[in-house]
Amino acid sequence: MNNSNALTRLRYKYFSGRLVGEILSKSWIDSAIPVLALLVTVALMASAIPDLFSIGYMTDLSRQLAEFGLVALALTIVIMSGGIDLSVGSMFALCVLAALVGMNVLGLPIGVALAMTLATGLVCGLLNGVLIGYLRLRAFITTLVTLVIYRAIYDIIFPRLASAIVGNTPESPLWDFLGFGEFYGFPLSFIIFAIIAIAIHITLSRLRPGWRLRAVGGARKSAYNAGINVKATVCMAYVTSGLLTSIAAFLFSARLGSTGADTGIGMEISVLTAVVLGGISLGGGRGSVGSAIIGAILVLILTNGLIRLSTPGSVNQLLLGLILIIAVLFDAQWVKNRGKILSKVYVSPTYLELPERVRPKSDPFALNERLREVELIGLGDVEGPEDVVLDRNDNLYTGTRHGTIVRFLAPDYAKSEIFARIGGHPLGLAFAENGDLLTCVGGMGVYKVSPDGTVARVTDETNRSWLSVIDDSRLRLPDDLDIAPDGRIFFSEATIRYEMADWVVDALEGRGNGRLICHDPSTGKTRTLLRGLIFPNGITICRDGQSLLFAETWACRISRYWFDGPNKGKHGVVVSNLPGYPDNINRGSNGTYWIALLGLRTRTFDLAMRKPAFRRRMARRIAADEWLFPNVNRGCVVQISESGEILDVLWDLAGENHPSITSTCENKGYLYLGGVSNNRIGRIRLPDADPDWTARGDYWRKD
Amino acid sequence: MGLLSRIATFFGRSDDDALSVPPMDGVFKPNTLLDSAEIVLQLAGIDNLAAADAMIYCSSGTVLHRIDPRRGSAAVVKSFDAPITAIATSPSGQIAIAIEKLGIELLSPQGAGRLINLATTYAACVTAIVFRDEDTIVFTVGSQQHAMSDWKRDLMSRGATGLVASLTLSTGKTEILSDKLAFPYGLANGPGGTIAVSESWRHRILPLRSPGQQPATALLADLPAYPARLASASDGGHWLALFAPRRQLTELVLVEDDYRLEMMATIPPEDWIGPDFGTGGSEEQPLQSGSVRQMGIMKPWAPSRSYGMVVRLDRDMTPIASYHSRADGRMHGIASVVELDGALYAASTGAGTLLRLDPASEALS
Repeated sequence: MNNSNALTRLRYKYFSGRLVGEILSKSWIDSAIPVLALLVTVALMASAIPDLFSIGYMTDLSRQLAEFGLVALALTIVIMSGGIDLSVGSMFALCVLAALVGMNVLGLPIGVALAMTLATGLVCGLLNGVLIGYLRLRAFITTLVTLVIYRAIYDIIFPRLASAIVGNTPESPLWDFLGFGEFYGFPLSFIIFAIIAIAIHITLSRLRPGWRLRAVGGARKSAYNAGINVKATVCMAYVTSGLLTSIAAFLFSARLGSTGADTGIGMEISVLTAVVLGGISLGGGRGSVGSAIIGAILVLILTNGLIRLSTPGSVNQLLLGLILIIAVLFDAQWVKNRGKILSKVYVSPTYLELPERVRPKSDPFALNERLREVELIGLGDVEGPEDVVLDRNDNLYTGTRHGTIVRFLAPDYAKSEIFARIGGHPLGLAFAENGDLLTCVGGMGVYKVSPDGTVARVTDETNRSWLSVIDDSRLRLPDDLDIAPDGRIFFSEATIRYEMADWVVDALEGRGNGRLICHDPSTGKTRTLLRGLIFPNGITICRDGQSLLFAETWACRISRYWFDGPNKGKHGVVVSNLPGYPDNINRGSNGTYWIALLGLRTRTFDLAMRKPAFRRRMARRIAADEWLFPNVNRGCVVQISESGEILDVLWDLAGENHPSITSTCENKGYLYLGGVSNNRIGRIRLPDADPDWTARGDYWRKD
Repeated sequence: MGLLSRIATFFGRSDDDALSVPPMDGVFKPNTLLDSAEIVLQLAGIDNLAAADAMIYCSSGTVLHRIDPRRGSAAVVKSFDAPITAIATSPSGQIAIAIEKLGIELLSPQGAGRLINLATTYAACVTAIVFRDEDTIVFTVGSQQHAMSDWKRDLMSRGATGLVASLTLSTGKTEILSDKLAFPYGLANGPGGTIAVSESWRHRILPLRSPGQQPATALLADLPAYPARLASASDGGHWLALFAPRRQLTELVLVEDDYRLEMMATIPPEDWIGPDFGTGGSEEQPLQSGSVRQMGIMKPWAPSRSYGMVVRLDRDMTPIASYHSRADGRMHGIASVVELDGALYAASTGAGTLLRLDPASEALS
C-alpha cells in the first residue's frame, strides 16, 4: 500500500495532466492544429518536389504571400466581426484596374496612383460596410451581390482599356522596385506585408478597435449592451477589408504590370479556404493575424505544389473546395466541443496525503457547543462576510458578495451603512496604520479604501513566472492580507487556476496552486515570495515584525514565513494535521492567534485526496453539486500560541448559525465571526480575554 | 441487449456503469407532507410497524413496543437480547418478530412466546415477514453474508445473496422461494396469492409468482430511492417506504472498486459515503458540495445522505402518490409504514418519530 501510494504521488507530481487542460485553455490553441497541418503539408510537398526550398522559389512565394496574405487579412477582419466578404476577388480586380489605369494609361505619379487604388478599395468596402453595418443587410447575400457588381464593372471597363494598359509602361523606378526590388534578400512587397500584418496584429490583440471588433463578432448583442457602436464597427471592418485588398492589388499590379480577364476570379474561395484553414472561426470573434498567415501559406504551398506537380487547374479547385469543406466541418466541431473537452480535462487532481488523526483522551479538539451562545449581527443584511474587522471607534466592517464593504455602527451594531462599493467580493480586510482599509478582492486584486470611502487600486498583478502555462501575472483570487510595520502588504492568492466562483473546485485538486505575494507601497512593486502553496488563505504578521503566519487550507496546516531578519526567506510548519481546514488567522489578546476553521476533515475526503484518479473521474462523471466535499457545515474557532500550541477550541456543532467560519476578529473582550457563505456575523464574549485589547493597539501601539 | 448497449459494454460503459439517478419527478415530485404530518409520538430508532387489534406494534432497538395510536402512548411488550429486524401480525393476532442472529419469535395473542430457530445465515438478516396463513409465513433475508445492522457493508460489497423463503410454523420447515436478490427489504401479499418483494439495492419491486419460479420483469423499477418495506393499503393497493435517497456519488463509489474497498477496510461504516437513515451523528460524515449551507439555509434539493419518502401504489404497483421529507426536513429514514383505521402511520427511524398521515389528503395526484 505504501509503495503504491508513493508511486501515485510521484505520478501525480510530474504527470498530473494539469498541463493538458491549461494548454487547451490558451487562446493560441486555435492555431496549433493549422500549424501542424502546415508542417505536414510542407513535409509532403518537400518529399514530392525535390527543389522546393530553393531561394528563387522562396522569393516568389513570399511575393505571392504578400498579396494573397493581405487579402486573407482583409477577410479575417471581416469574419472576426461576424460577417463575410465574398466580394474580395472582384474588389481586387477593380483595384488592380485602378492601379494600372493610374500608372500605365494616365501616367500619374506613383503616389497619386496609389491614392486612386486605395480610394477604389475604400469605396468598394464602404458600400459593403454601409449596406451591412448600417442598413443591416445579410453579409453573405450583400457581398455576393457586390461580387457580381464589381466584377461587372471590371468586365465593362477592362476590355476598353486593355490595349492601353499593355501598350504603355510607366517610367517609375519606385514602381519597378515595388514589383521586383529586394531588401536584404527580402522582396519589398513582403516587407510591406509584414509591417501591415504586425500593425493589424497589435490592433486586433492589444488595442481598443481590435477588442471591439472581436466583441462584436463574438456576441453582437452583448457588445451592443456594453456600449460598443456595433454598426460603425461592422462598417469599419468592411472598409478595412477594402483598403487591405487595394494594397494587395497595388502590389500585384507592380509585380505583373498587366491584368487579365480572369484576375481575381475564384480568389474568394482560395482566400476563404486559407482563412478557415488557419483557424479563423466562421462564427466570428475568434482568430488572429498569425492564423490567417498560416492558412495563407498553407494554401499557397498547396496550390503552387499542385501546379508544379502538373495537376490540372480544375482538379486544383476541386481539392481546394474539399479542403475548405473539411476545414469548415472541423471548425464547427472544434468550436462546439472545445469548451466541453476543456471542462472535462481542466480539473486535474493530485495526490495529497494528510496524516491520520489520532484522538487522544484529552483531545483539545473535543466537541463542544460554545459557539451556540453567539449574538447575531446583521442577520440577513450581509451576504458573504468573509472577513470582519473593527476600526478605532469599534465600528465593524465586512465585505459582501454584492461587491460592497458594509459598516456596522458601534456600540450595538444594529445599524449598518454601505461604506464603499468595490465591484468584486471583498475577502480579507486589514486596517493600515493611517486608517486606510485594505482589502483583497476576489477576481480583482488588492484595493484600498480611505476613511472617507474613496476606493483605490493597490495592485492587481505580480511578476509572471516563466514556466507557467497559464498567465499567472494577474491576481485571480487574492484571499487575505496583513500589513507589516514598515507598511509592506503581504497577501495570499489562494489559487491561480480558478476564479472566485470556482474556488471549491480547487479543493478537489489539492495541488499547490496558490502563492504568497508582497506589495511594497514605497516602490509600487509586487513580487511573488512563495509558490506552490496548497490554497494559502489566512495571513497574519507575527509580533516580531519579521515573520508571518499563513494557513494552507487543504493541507490543514499553519506555517511561518520570515520576510526579514536573520531567518529571511525561510519558512516552516507551525501547526500541522489540524482536524479541519484553516481559513483566516488573526491576532488575539495575550499574544495568541485565532484560526477560523472553514470545515472539518472527513475520513472519506482524506481518502479521496489520496486517490487522484478517483477524484478526476468524479469531476468528469457526476454533477458538481454531487461531488464529495469536506464537511463545512460545522463551525470551529481555534486559539493558538505563537509556537503552535492549541489553547482553546470553540465549536458550533450543528452549524445553525456559523457553519464554515472563515474569519475571526477579537476586539475588547469579544470575538467576531464571519463566514463566506453565511448571511450573518456572530459575536461572542470571551470571558478570559483582556477587555481592553484591540488589534489596532497590538499592531500599531496607539489609541 | 441492443447493439448500442453492446458497444457501450465493450467500451466499459455498460448500463450498470451509468451514474444517472432517476429524477424525483412526476408522481415522485417532492413535497413536505411528511414534515407537516401529525406527530404521534417520539421513540428512538422506531421501526417495523405492524398493526393488530387497533394497536400498532413496533420495535425500538431490542425492545418490542405496543402503541395506542389514539392516545399516542407506547408500552413495552418484551425485550430481546438482540435487535428486532422485522415484525408481522396475522389476522388472528399472532405476532412474528425476527431477532437478529437468533430467529423468529412467535407471540400468541395471549402473550406466550415461542422461538423458531433459523439457519444462522438466515437469522442474521431477516428484513421482512408476512403471514400467508396462520401456519405459514414468508420472510425475506436481506443478505446471507451480513447482518441487518451491517446493511451498509452489504450495499457497498454489492451484495446479492438475499432470498425469500417460506416457513411452516408448525413444523419449522423452510423453503426457498427465490434467491440471489440484492437485499430484499419488503414483502407484500398481492392479489391471488402473489407476493411482491422490494429489492433494495436494485431499486425495484419484483413479483414472486410461485415457489421455485424465477422472478420475471419488475413490477416497478428505477426508483429514485432505496425501497424498504411494503404494506397493504385498504383499497387493495400498497404502501412503499423508501428509506434513503440514491445519489450519483454513491453510484460512483459503487463502481470505483479501489476507493470503495479501501473505504470499507479503513473507515467505520457510519462515516462511509452512501445512504443513511438520518443526518447528524458522527462529525466525520461526508458531505456533498450541494449540501453546503448557503446563507444559513440548507437547500431542500441538496444531495443529502438521508431522505424521507413514502409512496402509494395501486393494485398494479403503479405509483399514484408520494409523501416526502426533503434534505432540509427531519422525517428521514422511513423504512416501514402501516395503514390502520383509515390513517397511515409512518415510522421515521432517523428522527425517531411516529407520524400519522391522512391517505385521502392532497398527496393523491
